[in-house]
Amino acid sequence: MDPARQTKDYLLPHHLLLSIAEQMKLPLLQIARQAELVNFSGDLNGVVGIQVLTANALRLIDAYSLSLQLKNGVACELTPEATSIASVLYDVNRQLQTFARMYNVQLELNIGGRFEPVIAHKKGLESAIIGLASAFIETLPAQVNGGDLKLQLATHRCRYGIVAGVYADIPGLRSEALSRGRKLYGRSRQPLVDVSHTSGAGIFVADAIFKAMSLKMHASRHHHLYGLGVVLKTSSQLSLV
Amino acid sequence: MSERTILLIEPDIVLANTYIDVLKKKGFSVSHVVSAQDAVIAADAKKPDLVICELQLVSHSGIEFLYEFRSYPDWRHIPVIVLSLVPMTEFKDSMFGLVNRLGVVRYLYKPMTGLIELIREVDFVIG
Repeated sequence: MDPARQTKDYLLPHHLLLSIAEQMKLPLLQIARQAELVNFSGDLNGVVGIQVLTANALRLIDAYSLSLQLKNGVACELTPEATSIASVLYDVNRQLQTFARMYNVQLELNIGGRFEPVIAHKKGLESAIIGLASAFIETLPAQVNGGDLKLQLATHRCRYGIVAGVYADIPGLRSEALSRGRKLYGRSRQPLVDVSHTSGAGIFVADAIFKAMSLKMHASRHHHLYGLGVVLKTSSQLSLV
Repeated sequence: MSERTILLIEPDIVLANTYIDVLKKKGFSVSHVVSAQDAVIAADAKKPDLVICELQLVSHSGIEFLYEFRSYPDWRHIPVIVLSLVPMTEFKDSMFGLVNRLGVVRYLYKPMTGLIELIREVDFVIG
């Protein structure tokens, strides 16, 4: 590949794979230590934690596979369809509740008002938001000791359409941090150093999925919170239904 | 002998909880923080007998923390165990500095360090 193009294209597959490989160390390590602790103490409650951590690691692998399928155009079953953003966020919230509780994070839905359906790959949208939310859940407790950790799956209107995203009190999460992270990921262990102690693979997998869906992830604000979201265009025809 | 205090700097709270659990069971008192800044505050509140430190932290790295930590005369001789996701091979050119300037007594690669091995190392350093 032309080297000039290579530096511009921030979503190179091998960078994403490196990011995922680095990220996967964490759940595997957590699972190994939890299993050791169960063995050590005989407390079987740790097994529940192992199940939750495993499920979340598998969701990230699924999202990564989906990003590749979408990029390569082999996810034929994923044709765009009329999608309710609220129902996608509701499903993500339901899937990640136990994982969020493990990290003492309150995962909340913030869907103010009624939003018309959008045309999108429902599964792609869901996987991307799961990747984003999981990355935020892992990193939120690493920002501050204790305190009230809240993460919102939120949606709001903007002049270009409807924004769906994940928001928390992370002031370091700005456009500059995201663009720096896009340049560094796959090369640095911590591309989003002011935001996350991990490789942030969930964020970059989401970025790849959105890109494959011809959408662009942005750093955005939701009320007083900082986060990442994507602008979805509404369909005026669907609005009539 | 009074209870030995360990300052654990670990950004992942799920992992931290397993370390805290096993260290407490072995009779150590553990003070857990997630960032370099909180670590300085915690060490100031109660002087630890040992610091266990991850290098990959949000904003300021573990190395930055160690430079800051060693700049205070009171903390110059507190042993530090690095327990990190960063493999030691990445420090092969700067291991001398880690050991001699920053007082790292052990460098443990997290994926290869089980709880029993961690306890053994902690016992060896401050037991």
